[in-house]
Amino acid sequence: MEMATEKTGDVTVVVLLGEQLDAGNAKDFKRDIAALLEPRGKVVFDLARLQFVDSSGLGAILSCLRQLNAGGGDLKLCGMSKPVRALFELVRMHKIFDIYGTQEEAVRAFGQ
Amino acid sequence: VLSGNSDTASCLQQSIRHHARYSLGKEWRGLSHQEIFTAAALAVRDGLVDRMLETEERYSKRDPKRLYYLSIEFLIGRSLTNNLCNLGMLDAWRQALSALGLDPRDIEESERDAALGNGGLGRLAACFLESLATLDMPGYGYGINYEYGLFRQEIDNGYQTEKPDNWLESGTPWEIERLDDACVIPVYGRIEHAVDRRGNYNPMWMDWKVLIGVPRDMPIVGYGGRTVNILRLYAARSSRDFDMQIFNEGDYIRAVEQKMASETVSRVLYPSDSVAAGQELRLVQEYFLVACAIRDIVKGYGKTHDSFREFPSKVAIQLNDTHPTLAVAELMRILVDEKDLPWEEAWEISRATLAYTNHTLMPEALEKWPASLFEYVLPRHLQIIYEINRRFLEQVAVAFPSDGERLRRMSIIEEGDRKQIRMAHLAIVGSHSVNGVSRIHTELVKKSLVPDFHQLWPERFNNKTNGVTQRRWLLAANPALARLISDTIGSGWITDGDALRALEAHCDDEGFHKEFRAVKRSNKERLAAVIKDTTRQTVDPDSLFDVQAKRIHGYKRQLLNVVRIIHEYFRLRDNAEQPAVARTCIFAGKAAPGYWMAKQIIKLINSVGRVVNTDPIIKGRIKVVFIPDYRVTLAETIVPAADLSEQVSTAGTEASGTGNMKFAMNGALTIGTLDGANIEIRDDVGAENVFIFGLTTEEIQQMRAQGSYRPREYYDRDPYLKQVIDSLDSDVFSPQEPGLFGWISGMLLDSGDEHFHLADLPAYIAMQERAAAEFRTTAIWTRKAILNVARIGRFSSDRTIRQYAREVWNIESV
Repeated sequence: MEMATEKTGDVTVVVLLGEQLDAGNAKDFKRDIAALLEPRGKVVFDLARLQFVDSSGLGAILSCLRQLNAGGGDLKLCGMSKPVRALFELVRMHKIFDIYGTQEEAVRAFGQ
Repeated sequence: VLSGNSDTASCLQQSIRHHARYSLGKEWRGLSHQEIFTAAALAVRDGLVDRMLETEERYSKRDPKRLYYLSIEFLIGRSLTNNLCNLGMLDAWRQALSALGLDPRDIEESERDAALGNGGLGRLAACFLESLATLDMPGYGYGINYEYGLFRQEIDNGYQTEKPDNWLESGTPWEIERLDDACVIPVYGRIEHAVDRRGNYNPMWMDWKVLIGVPRDMPIVGYGGRTVNILRLYAARSSRDFDMQIFNEGDYIRAVEQKMASETVSRVLYPSDSVAAGQELRLVQEYFLVACAIRDIVKGYGKTHDSFREFPSKVAIQLNDTHPTLAVAELMRILVDEKDLPWEEAWEISRATLAYTNHTLMPEALEKWPASLFEYVLPRHLQIIYEINRRFLEQVAVAFPSDGERLRRMSIIEEGDRKQIRMAHLAIVGSHSVNGVSRIHTELVKKSLVPDFHQLWPERFNNKTNGVTQRRWLLAANPALARLISDTIGSGWITDGDALRALEAHCDDEGFHKEFRAVKRSNKERLAAVIKDTTRQTVDPDSLFDVQAKRIHGYKRQLLNVVRIIHEYFRLRDNAEQPAVARTCIFAGKAAPGYWMAKQIIKLINSVGRVVNTDPIIKGRIKVVFIPDYRVTLAETIVPAADLSEQVSTAGTEASGTGNMKFAMNGALTIGTLDGANIEIRDDVGAENVFIFGLTTEEIQQMRAQGSYRPREYYDRDPYLKQVIDSLDSDVFSPQEPGLFGWISGMLLDSGDEHFHLADLPAYIAMQERAAAEFRTTAIWTRKAILNVARIGRFSSDRTIRQYAREVWNIESV
């Protein structure tokens, strides 16, 4: 999974550039993202390009949240397409993530 | 193409040629009948699609409440003739084909049956959809697009053999694939127990596999063509990135195997009676149907509604038996998990939306699934079912304090070494309406099957006696009788079954009698030709056609019929008696592949036939034939040709029956027990116009309770009966396979025959003798046959649908 990373203040915004996150690339994604998940890290995943996530992909995103939370940090999501939102709802993961429409909203939420 | 009138035939002809060229890509010359059928069906489909889109537009403008009929089976049969018939295009079709130098029957017979069902339950679903469309009601079917329908039956040395029915081998022109409406269906996995952002318990369904449900729409046209509704059938596909991990690891074969496993879900229809509890694939199949349907219904509703408050006033979902019962848990899952509704509100919506039809009284046929299998296949649904049950049992405990035994009986979860989920209990708890399918059946549901539930919620239970569509079963299947009726009383009966009553005025009209008999005679000739073609037996159309056509099952008692035939055979053979009439005993029906006893009965019928049909003393006064591969299309030839309709199930076992209605609608007289809808048919057509015999449900219940059925007493009392039973112990009917039928005498006499054959046999024999004597008196018989047709109107599925619409679904014609 290709990713683009940028810093806005102390928030790291990661834009996922692939269209699907599934059993085919979830393992690689977890490996590549690990370096960005620092203790007390404030991270936003921009999922706007993502069209499909299977249970492996959802598991990978969930493990990022767990890892950040364990170190006192947090992960917020933004830009979810309708089908991806539906998959989050399917497994009730929308209830444990903070989900925003845009990057700006997600970044701003860290300051509140 | 279908909007013309005088030009319709030539438009149709052009359209068929157009599709032959541009859809099939072939020159007209040299096309096979099968190819011409496909081109013709596509031409007809064009017209159906126009009307389907118009219908949807009409519905959209009104935003009416819609009914969704969930059924694991839809036994459609062929569609071409019925579609043409309902579009009023049969004459144009015949003209068009003649102009093309073709016999329309050759093309009609090229269509393969869509055999997506086992019997009554699936055919009922198909009749209901046709009636909904005819009544201009917004009603949709949801089912599975099985690649293999019910097996094809062949008879080899008298035994049933099963061959696969790959009905989609060369595709079907009726279905329209809707890839844009494909849906993702998760299955398997585990629950991860977590807390949400507010600190509340938040179970998450993780590590599931994905199935993709691809819908195919089959247009269902009502009579007159104003309304075309949709039957949406789902095929299972693997996800586009099927097990990429396995694939990436280089195990291509395993990845392909996984893909095939996913697609297996919609591959084959399970034959009834062989759904062994615990079969994982069947559970996945039931869930697949429900998950696709509910997702689609919720999506459709969401297009025009922002909240779920109005859901029950816009959506009604009918569960055809327990197979789609998972709808209760799936709808709750969507409302609570995905739409964030509080449990209480979701439950209210869900219950107000769902309704359940019970189809069987036999405890062994009531579905139960091991909780362990559920946990493996549908872990989140199991959690939801436990919660439904917890809240339900609290309610029971309040209504019936200190009654632990009642709680145990009513629980959705059957406790024991192996916990099981009782699907019928889940359906009753999760529905606002529970109905049986005939008067007596509904009473038995209330009093014997689930009396605790009836005591708790008496208002929830109601009866909807089944019905059949007269468009398929009279207008299309018996065109000569349909024409005679319309010429005599007008064609109002086609959409108003009660209008058939006007025929009563002609029941003593000699001219009408003559024409009525001529129609029956020509239908019998047609069936005789089919019998010759499929069994090599010659039968006499002047003989009494005594027909038992239905699934082969212990409770339906084909054995009672055979034993009576043997009884009559011995009397003719040994006493040189003359029968009142020559009789052709016609059997047809499939036995579930794993149902040994039913398959033995088929062998017995064929074996008895082999002896009786070739005995020179009998000289054809009794003929016994078994017509192979009973299916809708064969029924359409058998039913119009029957004189006598055998409906002889043990009282209290047949929920309703619909064959009984089809036969009576075509002028056959019923010989039957007081079971299922037979009772109501008797009430409507008149006791003097049917031959009712045998024990009542109450008598059988009493004998069961007291253990007072002693078959040996019947055996010892009647020397003829003794001779019949002994013949099964000997090798009279199985000279090549000694001892083959010995099990039958043992079962009938000593092994607690649960179907009370010998208790009913004397009355059955006597009633058959009366029927034969009456058949000889042509005028009396014809009068009775006419009165059967005249008074069968209440058994139109239009009446049934109107009742559901008014009393359960709250939907209207649009």
